[in-house]
Parts: sequence; structure tokens; C-alpha cells
Amino acid sequence: MPTLTYLEAIRQGIWEEMERDPTVFCIGEDIGIYGGAFKVTDGLIDRFGPERVIDTPIAESAIVGAAFGAALTGMRPVAEFQFMDFIGCAFNQITNMVAKAHYRWGAPAPLVIRGPSGGNVHGGPFHSQNPEMYFVHTPGLKVVCPATAYDAKGLIKAAIRDNNPVIFFEHKYLYRRIKEDVPADDYVVPLGKARIAREGRDLSIITYAAMVHVALEASELLSKQGIEIEVLDLRTLSPLDRIAIAKTVRKTSKVIVLHEDVRTGGIAGEIGAIIHEEAFDALDGPIVRLTALDTPVPFSPPQEEYFLPKVTDVVREARRLMAY
Amino acid sequence: MAKKNQPKAARYNSNHKRSPTSQPDAEKALHQRTYKILDYRLEKPSFALRQIRDGDAVRYDVSGRLSAPVPPIRDSKYLSKQQCVEIYRWMLLNRKMEGALENLYKQGKVVGGVYFGLGQEACSCASAYALKRDEWLGPLIRNQGSLLVRGFSARDVMMQYMAKAGSPTKGRDASSHFGDTDKRNVVAPISTLGDLIPVLAGVALGARLQGKNIAVMTYIGDGGQSTGVTYEGLNFAAVQNLGLVLFVENNLWGYSTPADMQFRVKDLAERAIAYGIPGIIVDGTDACQVYDAAHEACERARRGEGPTLIEAKMMRMKGHAIHDAAEYVPKPLFEYWKKRDPIVRFEDYLVRVQKWLTAAENEKIVAGVDEELETDREFAVASPMPEPESAAGGVYCEDGCHEVKPKYAMPKLGVLKSARRKQSEAAVHLK
Repeated sequence: MPTLTYLEAIRQGIWEEMERDPTVFCIGEDIGIYGGAFKVTDGLIDRFGPERVIDTPIAESAIVGAAFGAALTGMRPVAEFQFMDFIGCAFNQITNMVAKAHYRWGAPAPLVIRGPSGGNVHGGPFHSQNPEMYFVHTPGLKVVCPATAYDAKGLIKAAIRDNNPVIFFEHKYLYRRIKEDVPADDYVVPLGKARIAREGRDLSIITYAAMVHVALEASELLSKQGIEIEVLDLRTLSPLDRIAIAKTVRKTSKVIVLHEDVRTGGIAGEIGAIIHEEAFDALDGPIVRLTALDTPVPFSPPQEEYFLPKVTDVVREARRLMAY
Repeated sequence: MAKKNQPKAARYNSNHKRSPTSQPDAEKALHQRTYKILDYRLEKPSFALRQIRDGDAVRYDVSGRLSAPVPPIRDSKYLSKQQCVEIYRWMLLNRKMEGALENLYKQGKVVGGVYFGLGQEACSCASAYALKRDEWLGPLIRNQGSLLVRGFSARDVMMQYMAKAGSPTKGRDASSHFGDTDKRNVVAPISTLGDLIPVLAGVALGARLQGKNIAVMTYIGDGGQSTGVTYEGLNFAAVQNLGLVLFVENNLWGYSTPADMQFRVKDLAERAIAYGIPGIIVDGTDACQVYDAAHEACERARRGEGPTLIEAKMMRMKGHAIHDAAEYVPKPLFEYWKKRDPIVRFEDYLVRVQKWLTAAENEKIVAGVDEELETDREFAVASPMPEPESAAGGVYCEDGCHEVKPKYAMPKLGVLKSARRKQSEAAVHLK
């Protein structure tokens, strides 16, 4: 089985879908000859030509609008945002034009909007954000946040095949840091299904994207202290796997919800409510939220480190929760 | 066509240095660039609107040649007698449908407001008439006539306004906010302006990937063209050479704000110069001018020659919506444009000038429209409201509710077999 980085796995997924289905095409800024700011689409233009790997003006609303228009004719566009921080430029197209299309007038919109999000790379306030919750809040969109190379490939393929608009958040910190065996053959990871990243009996950490790896590292340290953590990787924030959330809470009775997004309005609040609805009687301690600060993402490394949840934070909070 | 009707080209000069496109003119082009805006109008109204303080109130005052004689309808280069009569009938249906909607509103049967295209029927109907069946249109709120031409019926529009279960959106949205990807190829508009422009460009892109150059049409107003997405969408269409026909409906008012407070250029068609695409001006109250410009733009689109911007000049003859009495509009402007009524003048052209319709034939058309509207009105009024529970569901396309397949043909796009996936680790942003 070939070893691929998270980034290469995404590229392979897109490549395979373009081979398989001539209605799939890519559209975005600098994605053609340059291969994208992070090189995710590198080489696609040589293989599939400039007709299917389209460089656009710097115009995010036009990119999403054009992708939606093409989708109305039965195409499956994959639109790249150079940074997901810039998704606000196309907010109206995404939330009003695209997301409401099926509900209002029965128009399927099979398009993918993908791009790098997340911090810990010292990108500052406009190259590090996690804007996923704006879209989780919007009915009609699906939101995907892979944590592993295997999932990144399987989820991008599922997103492209889905008949709905999917916002695909690639964590840029993971692009080249994660490397694992990824099957060279065709497989999909279904949207809306969470994954147990680590089994445990004492406490559940519910998380996604880069924080999955923080949770796993903390779990190894805690295991040495006799605390066995279960890590639930959500994979998809919309639809959210309520069943998997309830199941792990019923198993361990103690929960930390961990995410890199800011605290207020982050998915942790929603998950806390779901736990109260689905498994209140199983709780044996408060639901703990571990999140970034309610600030923009700061640029300077010591500030950004302070801003982000860390392994030491997870260990501390897990030990505190275990006292209940 | 009479010689006096030949379009005159307005010339615009710019000192901007631009790379020359043709060698013989290269030297000249370095110093001077000449742009042409075709103008099909037979008269060029020019009014100045000023905001003035009048006692305790602030109001608009208009000056200019308000008593100018009404121009004739310009003979079409392309329309047959029968086609002219068809467009006339669509315009009648458009206006009378909106009259019926106004009555339904007064009877308390409409949920929310009603939007009118009064005075703009020629622009809606004759433009949409230039599209082929398999081409696409994205209407704005005042283009209810365009929806009729695309194959929706008056009862569809009425049921939208009455929020009925049988409306095209099943009660979920109002007014002209509906579409059809299956047969009529209409993209449902959203309330914010300019957003349809990149979407229609994308429709043309999708068709081109499937091997077909089609014309796609949408509209923007003198108010809506101020939005950023208008620029993004039209520039994208221009760069990608997509067959977008953009009607800029300059109806002089964006809600209560006069066009002078939206832009500084004299004619919005001048905007075309900056996009590097053809720009045309037509009298939006003249169905023949609207059709001819639309037809030529559609033909360009079908030849793969890219987008066209058509500015249609006219006036919105009612308020923004039914609640708005438009008291901010100076009365002399209403009087001026009322004399230029698109339907009255087209009727006169068909019956008296061309004699393509006898008075009896005309009466028959009017009676037919009235009968059709009465049937549709009765159907729409009698049809049920949606069940409350039907608010839920349908947010996602799932369980095979729609099949997604190429509208024109499966794209035949080659792949270069020798090109392999790269395993590059090139310099990137933020490692």
C-alpha cells in the first residue's frame, strides 16, 4: 500500500474522480499550471487539460456562482479556495444561492468547495481560521473536516459524488505532517459517519481535524497514568453523527469536546446540547469544552500557541474530569 | 429597415495604454484607443435629476426636454410579423397578470407584497423570446414576463404570491423566486442582486464542457449593478468567453434612489468597455430594439464569441413593490414615460403602422389573454395552502430524489495518459 501524505491523498482522490467521471472539473485561483498555493492540484492540468482545471480571476463569488451554474447543467465542480479564510467573500453565494436551492426550487447542487483551513502554521488572522461553523449553521450544506490521509481521500471522493453542496475543510497543518498507508484503489468514506480513532473506557474526547492528533497524543500520556481515553473523530460536522456521539458518552460517561475553532458558537456547544438530549442520564461529570480562545487567530508563535488547545491542556482537563 | 434607423456608434476615447490587438493599428493604439457602443435608440432622453430642499421637505426635481415627441417603434431586422404578434401577446399577458395580482392583493389573497414590471414588459418578454428552448435564463423580480415566455404559466406566478401548495416552490418561496432545471431552464433568483450573473456564466461553462456553446441570459438593474458580484460575474464571463447576455435594465430607480446616485457614467453600457466586451444601448420600451439586440447577443454567444452587455433604458412605472407609492418620483417623469408605454406603442405599431393586426384580431388576442388569466386566477385561488408539516424536509437531495446527469452530452474530454500524478514537494505557502 503506498504511503501518502494527507495532501497527496486529497490530490489522488480528486484525480481518481476526474478519471472516473468526465463531469468532474476543478475551478479556482492558481490551480492550473502553478498547481495551487499548496500544490493540491499539482499536475492535474497536465493530465486533464485547462478545460477541466480552470484558473479564475481573484473572485470568490464568481468561483462559487460559476460552480453552481455548471452544477445545474449536471457537472460536478470542485472549487478551490486558496485559503478558507477567504470564504467570507462568497458567503452570499454559498448560504443564499447554493444552500437554499434544493429546498426552494428542487435544484440539486452537486459541488464541492474545498481549501485549507486551520492554524498552528503562524499564518496570522487571515490564513489560519476555522470558519466551518458558519456553514454548519446553514441548512442545505454538508461540512467535512478530515483528520487522516485515508479519510481525506475517501471523504473527498464521497463529497464529489454527493448530490449536495459540500464544504471540505482541509487542515493545512496536516497537509505534509500526516503520512500513512492509503489504498491505491477506489474507496469512499461515507459523509456523516464518525470514527473511533482510539478505543477507551474511562473518558471520551469528541473532536475533529488536527485536534484528533492532539487528542491521540494526550491519550498516550494518560494511558501511562492508567486512564484509557476514547477518541471520537467526527469527520463530518454536517450531518453530525449523533448516534456515535451518544454511544461513546454512554460507554465512558465523561466527555471532553475539543476543537481548534473559537469557543463561542463552536461545535462543542452543539455537541453538549446533543449529549443532554441523547445521553443526559449517562453523564458522570460536566461536559468539558476545550477550544481556542474567543479571539482572532494571533500571528506571533507564542501567542498562537497560547491561543490553541494543546496536549497539556487535554491532559489537565482529563485528570480534572476523572476526579468526578 | 429605413435608413434613418441605422444604429449610430457613440465613440469613447481613452488614453490608457493597452497592448494592441491588431498589428496595423498597433502604433496608433498605443496612443489612442477607440471604443464603440452601439445605440439602437430613436431618441435619447437626457434629464437632470436634482435633490432639492423645498420648504421643510427634500425632494427630487427633474429638468430636461420632457415634452419631446414620442418616437416610433423601430422596425426589427429579424422579427417576422407572427413573432411580433407573439411578443405582443406575452407583453399583454405580463401586464394583465400583474393587474390580476394587484386585485388579488387588494382582496387580501396575497401573502406579502407584489412586485411589478409595469413599463418594462417589452424588455422582459422580447429579451427572453430571443433564447432557444435549451438555453437558460435567470430572471429578476420584475421579469415575470420572462418567466411566462420560458413556459411558466400565470397560475404559477399567482400561486407563488399566494403561497399555495401547488406553487412551483410548493409554498417555500414567493414572487419570481422559482426556477426549473428540467424543462424550462430557468435559474431561480435570490433577493440579493448580481448573484445570478456568475451563476448564468457557470451554466454556459457547464454547457461548453459538454460540447455546446449556448446563450444564457440574466438581468441587473441600475441599482443592482452597484454590487461587487456583478463585477465578479461579468468579468469572469468575459475572461472565460462565456455566452452571457446581460441586460442592464436601467429603470432609473433603485427602490427610492435615483440612478444618478448609483453611478457616474453617462450610460451603463459604457461599463462594457472596461470588461472588454460589446456594449449596446436600446430603448427598453421598444420590443423590436430589445429583441434585435438580444438576438445578436445570443448569436454571438452561440458562436462562442463571449458575453454582451445590453443597457435597456426605461422607467419603473410603479413603486419598488405594492406598498410603495413612489411619491419620490417627480410627476413629469411619470408623464413622460407614460407616453412611451411599451404595450400601447407596440399595439399601435402592429395595428395602425404595419397593419399586421386588424382591430378584430387584436380584440381576439386581448380576449384570449383575459380568458386565460381568469382560468388561471380561479385555479390559483381555489388551490389549497400547504400542509404545515411540509415546511420540513427537502433541504438535501437524497434518497435518489434527483438524478444528476449532463444536460447536453457527456463531456468528451481527453486525458493525457503520459501525465502522471506528481509527488512534488515544491515551495508552498505556510509549510
